[in-house]
This record gives sequence, C-alpha cells and structure tokens, in this order.
Amino acid sequence: MKKFFGVVIAAAAAAFIVSGCGGKSEGKYAGQTLHVYNWGEYVGENTLSDFEKLTGASVVMDEFDSNEQMYIKVANGDAYDILVPSDYMIERLMQEDLLQPLDKSRLNCLDLLADGVKNLPYDPDNTYSVPYFWGTVGIVYDKNKVSIEELEKDGFGIFANEKFKGDIYLYDSERDMFMMALKHLGYSMNTSDEKEINEAYEFLLQCVKTMEPEIVTDEIIDNMAQGRKALGLIYSGDAAYVMTENEDMGFFMPESGTNLWSDAMVIPKNAKNPELAHEFINFILSYDGAMDTSVTVGYTSPNKQVMEELSGEGGEFEGINAYIPRDDNPNDEVFEYNEDTRKIISELWSKVKIAASNAG
Amino acid sequence: MKRFSQLAVPYVVWSALMLLLPMIIVVFYSFTDGGNGIAAFQFTIKHYAKFFTDPDFLIVLWRSVKIAVKTTVICILLGYPAAYFIAGNSDRIRNILVLVITLPTWINMLVRTYAWIGILTKGGLVSSFLGLLGIKDTELLYTEAAVLIGMVYNFLPFMILQINTSLCKMDRSLLEASSDLGADGLQTFCRVTFPLSLPGVVSGISLVFLPAVSSFFIPKLLGGGQYFLIGNVIENQFITVGEWNFGSAISVIMAVLMMLSMYLVRYIEAKNSQVADS
Repeated sequence: MKKFFGVVIAAAAAAFIVSGCGGKSEGKYAGQTLHVYNWGEYVGENTLSDFEKLTGASVVMDEFDSNEQMYIKVANGDAYDILVPSDYMIERLMQEDLLQPLDKSRLNCLDLLADGVKNLPYDPDNTYSVPYFWGTVGIVYDKNKVSIEELEKDGFGIFANEKFKGDIYLYDSERDMFMMALKHLGYSMNTSDEKEINEAYEFLLQCVKTMEPEIVTDEIIDNMAQGRKALGLIYSGDAAYVMTENEDMGFFMPESGTNLWSDAMVIPKNAKNPELAHEFINFILSYDGAMDTSVTVGYTSPNKQVMEELSGEGGEFEGINAYIPRDDNPNDEVFEYNEDTRKIISELWSKVKIAASNAG
Repeated sequence: MKRFSQLAVPYVVWSALMLLLPMIIVVFYSFTDGGNGIAAFQFTIKHYAKFFTDPDFLIVLWRSVKIAVKTTVICILLGYPAAYFIAGNSDRIRNILVLVITLPTWINMLVRTYAWIGILTKGGLVSSFLGLLGIKDTELLYTEAAVLIGMVYNFLPFMILQINTSLCKMDRSLLEASSDLGADGLQTFCRVTFPLSLPGVVSGISLVFLPAVSSFFIPKLLGGGQYFLIGNVIENQFITVGEWNFGSAISVIMAVLMMLSMYLVRYIEAKNSQVADS
C-alpha cells in the first residue's frame, strides 16, 4: 500500500515537473487534480501514470480496505471525485442520496461491458455506476489434498468436514461468511428471516468450534499460493492470482450458489471535478486501462474484449476457471443492502469470532 | 506568582479538550442508546448488563488479563537484570546502552510487529532454525505464544528504562554504608537496592500492563483473526459491528479495571515503603 502511494506521489510530482518545466499544458485537463478513493492494490502498474499522460491532470489516490471504512469517510463529507464501492454499498449510497447521476453523453464505455455486468440489479441502467471489477466467491483448494468429488458432495459444507480440521481458512467478513453458511443451508443470502440467519449462525459456530480454522483476510492469498492449508473461502480474483502462482491450487463454486459481486465506479455528490471523473471512468474501461488493471490485479475485467482475451488462448489467465465468473447458475445472487440485517449478522459474526477464540 | 500561574491556562484548556472531553463522551455513549447521534438518546445500563451476563465476553476479558499479567511478569524478569546491568556501568557506556534499548522504539510499533510475522511464520526464521535441530514444522504464528512474544518485545523497553532510571537515581553511598555495616551482596540487594528501585518497577508495571491488557493490533497480527482479546472486541464493536454504545461500555469497564489495578499496585507499594521506613 505504501508502495502504491509512493508511486502515486512520484507520478504526481513527475507530472507536475513536466507540466511546470514545459511551460505549456499537453492534456486538456492540465493542472487539475482527480481524487480517487479505491481499494488497496486495485490499479495496474501504469494505470494512473497513463491516465495522467493522457489528460495532463494529476491523480491522488487514497485506499480503503472495507466498504464500511470508505462509507464513514464519505458520509463525513470528505470530497472525492471517484469512489469504487461494492454493489450493496452503492445501493446504500444511492439510498442516502450521496451520489450524482452519471452524464452519459460523456461516457463512451457502456458498450464495452461484458454481459455479466450489464443490468446489475442495484443499478440496472448504469444511472450512477460503471463496473470496475467483478467476480464470485468460492473455495480455493489444494488439488493434492482435496478431491473434486468431495467438493461436489459437500459444497460449502466442506468447511465443517472434520477430515480437514485445522487445515482451513475462513474469510474475516461477516457478509461473505454468512453468505457461505446461508447458501450451504439452501437459503437466500439476502434473507432477513431470523430463523434462517440463526441457523447459519449455528452452522458457523459449529464450524469454528470443531474445525480450528484460521480466520484471515488478505493473508489467504500468499498463504494459499504457498500451499499452507487445504481449503479456504476466497474471492475469485484472488483465487485467479493464487492459481497463476501455484498450479496445485483449484477454485470451486458450489452448486448451491454463491455471491456474484461487482465493484463499480461512482461519482459522489460533493465531487469537485466530475468532468475529469467521467474521463477516468472511460479510461478504466478502455482496452488499455482495463488490460493493465486486470493483468496486474487478477480480478475480472468488465470490458468484454479484455476479459475474453485474458482468459482465451495465450491469455494471462488461460485455463484458470476463477477468472471467468459463473453467470448461468440460478442460485447465484447479488448482495442487497439491508441495514437491519447487516447489524444482526455483524454482531453474530463477532460472536462467532469470540467463540472461535474461546474454543482454541 | 499569580502572574505565572496564568501560564497554566492553555494547558488546562488543552487537557480538558483532549483528555477530559473524550472520556466524558465515551462514558455518555456507554450509558445511552439510540445510534451514534447524540440528539436522540435514552439512558440505559443494558450495555453493561450485556457484557457481564455473557460468559463469552468474560472469558475474553479473563484471557486478556492473564496475558497482560504474563507479559508484565516476563518483562520484570527480563527487564530487571538488564536494567541492573545497565545501571552498573559508567555514564558513557550507560548512555550508549540506553540508546540501544530505545533505538527500536524509533521505528513504528506496527512495522516491528509485522516483522515478527516473518520471523514466526512457518518457514520463517524460527521454524527454519528449529528445523535444523530436527524439530520440524513448528507453527508459532497465530498462537498465544506468538502474541506473548510480540507483547514482551514491544513493551520490554518501557520496563527497562523505568527500572534503570530509579536505579541510577539511587544514592551510591547507601551501598557503601550497607557493606560497612556488614551486609553481603545479596543482603544489600534485597534490603537496600531492590526496595529503592521499587518505584521504577511500579511505573514499569503501569507502562507495560496497561497497554498490554488493551492491545488489539498485536493479537490481531500475531494471534490471527480467531484470537480475540478485549481490545479486539472493542475495535470490532466500533469498526465492523457499528455498536458504539456497547463498545464504549466495554471501554469504560476496562478503564475502571485499570484504575483499580493501578490503585492496588500503588497501595501495596505505599504499604511496603511504610514498613521499610519503620
């Protein structure tokens, strides 16, 4: 993260020096600044500098590591031109009237979108948002320790299969863990039925008490790439990275369904430079911008051409099933925002974690 | 004199704003309900009731206290001999040694704790070394031992410096007097040196025990997501659950416990020094 920030500063400084010394502005937006609030390690190596070269503007990017962290800053009035929240958080920002509608006459990228990221339920006609990355959640597994038959038989229930006791990673996020449990039990992950949520809670409780899991976040990426455990719950994009690093690793999505998620770019109401923000959206979705971010980060690009090239013959992610999100399983769902349920499951998840720590 | 006392006004205002006000807000939150807005609140003690009626929270609290006590004891056992050794040197050497002890604290604690992840992890420094000795596949990271190591490592300098300061302030002629009166080395240490260094030990204890019992990033980094101390519970309530009121209540409970324990330590110390005087 520090490294990225350094690069941004250096790039900004370089752009400043270039434009300062040259005495004439090259791009249309010379001298202007774009403030981006994005996930950590979510841009390509040259994405920001290329954009700066193209427009003459300089980019300042701050990073967050959870939607909630981003929400608190934005709701408190920090002004950014571009945010990259996830689906349910965009729904929340829309409900709370914190976003401005996109000016479609300034966008030239909507035709480039892959089918899977068109008509997303939270913003079906891209009034407020344009996808940035998308994917699913699934199981990353060591092919030497876990067979595909076991995965197909157990589904997400494999996280409670005592054969793998002490050999699993869980992901420290209440949304993803309750999604996993609810889907395993055959319920909707957007349920607000207390009985179903409680059943999921009991399942997770059972799991942490008997399975001795390690509850991690991004550590899972390096640890699975080094093959430290047999199984883990993981985002498809992270799995794609793990699989390029270690060919013993596989990615599996249970038939009972999973979370089809997307992170998308939005422009908040208090943006200082919405015009430049539209340019940024176009650039990220353009062939070059999308290629650079997707190759570097490993998450699936919403640009159809880029996605197909990268997963096709000779592509960076050829033969890696985690790179192509599944879009033909009726059990897969997109998250919906519900404040009451969110509170309940986050409190239950913190109880699960305490139980996990008391079991050890 | 009066003129000078006015110079304290900015300090008083500053303390009120920066120390007292946040405390008042935390206490206020802990006794109220109704989200994060102060406008619509109602008085309640349900957050306290929730904490004390749920055995899970009490187990976590007990574990936090236990590990903080262990940390403090280890810090005294390691820190006292180190401080004694440092204090026995000439001024010049002593300054260098104190600098060596302080040096790591110039680097951010978080960064130093991250370094321990690399040392303790499977295939890291420790497990490779143990592997050479024939002990294979030791996983230290994400265990309670790792948390303990991280805490002792981070807080040991505070203990050493405190004890060292009180040992240095000690009047050397007392030691001469003691040996003139026929006491041997051990007796001098037990009856003169150690009692005189007690204030240093006591402030060392406060500087180690308090941060250890409420630490949250050391258990998070070295204990893993499934290892919870009370600091993690508080952090969790604020950052992810969004229950500021309950989080505040736990913070207040911790603050009261810490004040009581400090009071107890000082009480025992005062008792001791009375005995020593009489």
